[in-house]
Amino acid sequence: MLPCNRVFPIRESFPQMPPLESKSERGATYAESVPNISTRIRTGLYAGFRTSLRIIAVSVPLYVGVTLLKGTPVLDMLGGVFAPWMGVFGLPGEAAFAFVAAFLLNIYAGIAVIVPLNLDSFQVTQCGLMMGIAHDLIVEGGVLSTTGTRGWVLSLCRLIIAAASGLLLRGLWHIWGLL
Amino acid sequence: MEALTSALGGAATLSFKLILIIVPLVTVFEVLRHLPIFRRAGNLVEPAMKGVGLTRDAAIPLFTGIFLGIAYGAGIIIRVAQQKGLPGRELFLMGLFLATCHSVVEDILVFVVIGGNGFVILGVRLGLAVLLTGLMARLWKTD
Repeated sequence: MLPCNRVFPIRESFPQMPPLESKSERGATYAESVPNISTRIRTGLYAGFRTSLRIIAVSVPLYVGVTLLKGTPVLDMLGGVFAPWMGVFGLPGEAAFAFVAAFLLNIYAGIAVIVPLNLDSFQVTQCGLMMGIAHDLIVEGGVLSTTGTRGWVLSLCRLIIAAASGLLLRGLWHIWGLL
Repeated sequence: MEALTSALGGAATLSFKLILIIVPLVTVFEVLRHLPIFRRAGNLVEPAMKGVGLTRDAAIPLFTGIFLGIAYGAGIIIRVAQQKGLPGRELFLMGLFLATCHSVVEDILVFVVIGGNGFVILGVRLGLAVLLTGLMARLWKTD
């Protein structure tokens, strides 16, 4: 038997070749040759709707849950526990749930919690900044660790950077507000 | 019962907004990503990447992560990192940059839709990513 891979290093000579697992996270496939435009549009629409459905399946129950809890004292009580922590970033205590959802699930889960809380423009921007940096830590930490760099170190970095950027933005907003 | 109906109505509105952002974005990406200009984009950004301690080998995974996000770009990021045999230092710097600044189009658009300021979010994230990665590249010298 010839060691085919050594004699013909096929994968190395074609950098644009698809990986062995040809499905990406969102189900888009890497075609070997460039597909024509209508195929690409169809692939894109299909992948987009599939992604949307997966996101909606998580965010709708969360949104409904938070909206219903808002009518009860439970959310206020739990929010009060986190108020001193979130207050550092200029956010209400209830926003802590949005961060938990964003860290463990994804940014859309965080959004599903934020919207019923009726935050002001600064608070939404602050959430967008901090959650944009640190979200989906479990899945993305896994992805980053497969590249050889330690995933949990980067996840920890993201949490620290998110906190730092939150403090920075609050400071900047304060300065802009005064000018 | 009324509360449930209004909650479901709000959830439907939010879902509709999310679909309106995600579907066109994914479709546009799928159409554009085969264009040769994106394969050659590495030349243009090389000087900028040097400043944060990265070489052009890292261009494709870096820009995939910046525009698409880590989860969606996973296939490309993992594949290129392995094929090009990126050294540990570069992988860490790329990871640090992406940790701060990734999936900028989609993540920022969804927050703009619910009332946030997109320019502020983008500015702080990009600035912080360049600052942190540049700093780290100078601290962690190549041997």
